[in-house]
Amino acid sequence: MAGPKTTASSVSSSSSANALQTLWKAYNDTTSPRLKLVDTFLVFLMLSGVVQFVYCILVTNFPFNAFLAGFGSCVGQFVLTASLRTQVNPTNRSEFKDVSPERAFAEFALGSIVLHFFVYNFLG
Amino acid sequence: MRSFWSLLASVVGLATLLVQAKSSSGDSVLVLLDPSLKRDDFSIFFSGLEEKGYDLTFRSPKDEEPVVIKDDYPQFSHVIIFAPETKSFPKDITPQSLVDLLSKDTNLLLALSPKQTPLTSLASEFSLITPPPGTPLVSHFPERDTPATVIPVNVSHTSPILTPGLPPVWFSGVPFALGTNPLLVPILNAPPESFATDSLGDSDADVVIEASEKGGEGLWAGSQLGLVAGFQPAGGARATWVGGVELFSDEFATKEVSSGVKSGNEQFAADIASWTFQESLVLRVDSIDHHRLNETAPREHYTTNDQIVFTTHISRYNPKTSAWEPYSGIQDLQLEFTMLDPHIRTALPPVPGKPGAYSVTFRAPDRHGVFKFVVDHKRRGWTHLHSSTVIPLVPPRHDEYPRFLSAAWPYYTGAISTSIGFIIFSALWLGGSESKKGKGSKVE
Repeated sequence: MAGPKTTASSVSSSSSANALQTLWKAYNDTTSPRLKLVDTFLVFLMLSGVVQFVYCILVTNFPFNAFLAGFGSCVGQFVLTASLRTQVNPTNRSEFKDVSPERAFAEFALGSIVLHFFVYNFLG
Repeated sequence: MRSFWSLLASVVGLATLLVQAKSSSGDSVLVLLDPSLKRDDFSIFFSGLEEKGYDLTFRSPKDEEPVVIKDDYPQFSHVIIFAPETKSFPKDITPQSLVDLLSKDTNLLLALSPKQTPLTSLASEFSLITPPPGTPLVSHFPERDTPATVIPVNVSHTSPILTPGLPPVWFSGVPFALGTNPLLVPILNAPPESFATDSLGDSDADVVIEASEKGGEGLWAGSQLGLVAGFQPAGGARATWVGGVELFSDEFATKEVSSGVKSGNEQFAADIASWTFQESLVLRVDSIDHHRLNETAPREHYTTNDQIVFTTHISRYNPKTSAWEPYSGIQDLQLEFTMLDPHIRTALPPVPGKPGAYSVTFRAPDRHGVFKFVVDHKRRGWTHLHSSTVIPLVPPRHDEYPRFLSAAWPYYTGAISTSIGFIIFSALWLGGSESKKGKGSKVE
């Protein structure tokens, strides 16, 4: 993560549009497909959460438990996925010496299953 | 021998059926007849009652026996008091005891006269305002050969109590003004050109006019005055006040109102007697029934917003057969679903094809509490129907609410898509693990 950012900020002095392009290019070049998969999932979760929150504000929060379950599942899944991303990121390898990517995924999967168990109990 | 006994039993049964009175409340009648009135002068009225099956007991107001109330129980089903001139009644007949009789479902038929008696003051307790003593009803129209106080009165054709198409009836006695009491049932009103006065001669007409112009009591005149009025208190007993006892006499019954036309007195007297003695216009609520729509058994309580079916069965007494028959003729019956106030008041129409049944389906209010089904039908002349059934209305149990609402679909979709996303993500993650090793090592 640190590498692409420093590259982007050094080049972006010319114009902001150029900077974004450079950022995107650097991200594409330096991020592994596995992290891109994680990022895609994170973006999806974020959009889903935003949509539900807007619906709750603008339309109705009436079955409030359903809102809490739906929104909470997005937030919880986002947190778990973000943790997974941190743990499997090769740049952070030094901080998580004991945690292999397989173990990180297993913890992620277990956490998610527990989360979904609570979400569906809370939904109806 | 056995067949003889059964035959005897059936004959006795038939005989009791035949002598059974037509009234819905009993057949014993006490007639309190003033000594100045001869029983034979009212033979048409009394024999008419006896033919119907009533058991008449005559008693002079001076006699002490038989008493009307003994040990707090009324001894007769009906009491006729034809003692318009009696000033002092025996001690068992007081205004209080007569009111007590009414509250114990004994019917009263009372006659007044221009003289001031205890009955006159009792009449004011029934919202009948009597004119000053000694002022009979007088009318000089139509021209006739009788005294001015003997008046032919046209019978109202709208009253359900009377036989339709009655000829005019002869009346002689005192009128009374009708108060605003809703329990009063006007039966016969005075002719429009009649008035009440103490001076019978035409020479005193100026005095009458002067008195009326002075105000005060004013002029007792016009068709607003009542001559015969019924009163039906809450208990269902009936009291009828008649302005003059001569209305029931044989003389008036046989007297012609115009050439060749017999007066309506005989039928009129029989009609008011049958109303007073609870033969005609007698209704009762036989049963009530309530259940949820598409169910048959009643519940101990209902849930808010339930669809409730309420049915009641109403019977009318038929004096011809002495039996209660299902009656579907009430068109304006209403049901109230009440908690302090009626939360729902709806029409309770008769069910076509089911005699006597009235039914309505309604949605219970969205309000829990102790409610009542109330059927309250009070119409002048008819028995008052009142039925009240307490029923609790409870909120839904925790598992009776709708579970999945259409408004919540975005949230359901959000939760489901998260799960599907998680599964797809896991599949891609695990499926891409082999290639990742190569790629990951390349990046590193």
